[in-house]
Amino acid sequence: MRLVLLDQPTAKRFHFYPLALSRPIWELRCGITTLGEKLVAKIGAADVACFVPPYMADAYRAQTAWPVNDPASLAGDDLLIVAGNVRAEEFTCEPVGPSRVKFDADGDCLVVRVAKEDLGKLNTGSIDALIESAKTAFGTCDCEVPVWKYVWDLVLANPGQLTKDFAAAGRSGIEGTVEQPNAIRGGRGDVFIGKGALVHPMVVLDAEHGPIYLDEGVEVHPFTRIEGPCYVGKKSILLGAKCREGMSIGPVCRVGGEVEESIIQGYSNKYHDGFLGHAYVGEWVNLGALTTNSDLKNDYSSVSVTLDGRTPIDTGSTKVGSLIGDHSKTSIGTLFNTGAYVGAMTLIAATGKPLPKFIPSFAWFLEGVVTKGFGKRKLYETAAKAMPRRGRQWTAADEAMWDEIYKMTESTRKPAIAKGRRVLAGN
Amino acid sequence: MATVLERVVAVTARVLRLDPSEIKPESTFTVDLGAESVQSIELVASFEEEFGIEMDEDAALSVESVGDAVTFITNLCGEQGVEI
Repeated sequence: MRLVLLDQPTAKRFHFYPLALSRPIWELRCGITTLGEKLVAKIGAADVACFVPPYMADAYRAQTAWPVNDPASLAGDDLLIVAGNVRAEEFTCEPVGPSRVKFDADGDCLVVRVAKEDLGKLNTGSIDALIESAKTAFGTCDCEVPVWKYVWDLVLANPGQLTKDFAAAGRSGIEGTVEQPNAIRGGRGDVFIGKGALVHPMVVLDAEHGPIYLDEGVEVHPFTRIEGPCYVGKKSILLGAKCREGMSIGPVCRVGGEVEESIIQGYSNKYHDGFLGHAYVGEWVNLGALTTNSDLKNDYSSVSVTLDGRTPIDTGSTKVGSLIGDHSKTSIGTLFNTGAYVGAMTLIAATGKPLPKFIPSFAWFLEGVVTKGFGKRKLYETAAKAMPRRGRQWTAADEAMWDEIYKMTESTRKPAIAKGRRVLAGN
Repeated sequence: MATVLERVVAVTARVLRLDPSEIKPESTFTVDLGAESVQSIELVASFEEEFGIEMDEDAALSVESVGDAVTFITNLCGEQGVEI
């Protein structure tokens, strides 16, 4: 059986923006692992292929060992095609069995299971053709297929998912170095410190209310307090952080200040003081000193988020912080409003006031308004400088992907720039 | 009706908080008129608003002097069908 992860450019895909602008939905994190890693583990797949929106295929191919958008993946074996936003934990479809399909109410594909002997009945020339032909050829699967609907669902589920993932990983104990004096509260079985990890003196690991998983090569500097549940990814560094419960920090991050119930995808810096709560931060983000987000409104009403620049969506939660896309940078003292959407490749210069709740991708936010700034070329130059600092390269494939994202996000950016221009001109 | 030069000078004076008499066609925005990087962006936005045109960021920010800006804007208005 081959598992085929699916991320189609559906009308609802923007529910996972700005994080999914530059990656397949299954690369988003929740708990210790990504959604894709959870699906692979749940289904027990050894053979995995994937289909992503075409504009990101070349860039993603450089990051994964799986075949990407290769029609050859659709032949030669039983197939289980699963959408990347399917919740692995509640996925109950048998991986192998009679050919069946499952679509959601909007007609978006959730699952297609194809027995090898039925492949001849289908058009396997492309993933879209296969799904369309399967829709008419096979009956509907009876099983329930719950999905992640919005990006903030991952943030809100993160604390509970961390605890489940820790149990699933089945690892505890100290394989790295813990320098004394130190304090580990709670059960020793609720702490895992991976090989090469170094915990400096004067650190508190408080696992009383949830497990703590420090992956390989993590470094924890003095006066850091980590409350479980928490995951810190490989080679990340905590710098005197007040790391409160429910944090997932991906690889190669630098994190200081106060952070709580947030997800940082990886390769991002929040080095200095400032509060980050109920947020999802992408890769290659740099949050300047004292950058702070609100995650709770003063009237305790539920937080709304505007994902498309026009229509606010009620999250149904009283706690939602910022969604910050890849390669965005904030100046010192930046203040994000509750439920702020900060697109990818933005440059934010603080004004001293909370910023607008929607900042489009590739915006240069200066003097309190969205501008063209110095344009995308300068943003690319910055990315090309920042990435080698962490051992990665800005490639032609990256640039081609971001050029497409620039076009895709133009409809939200242009009106914001026009409005900013009028403000700057005093009209 | 004001000329392109007069309009460019007026916008420049407002954004950089200068007396219009200090601004000459040969004045460079950064060295002579003291425009900082953020003000350069503000100038581009204000020229776009004043003339009703769209500027390419890289091309606009490579313009060095007031006279060059007049030429650049005049050409752009022609390309974009904007009457001046």
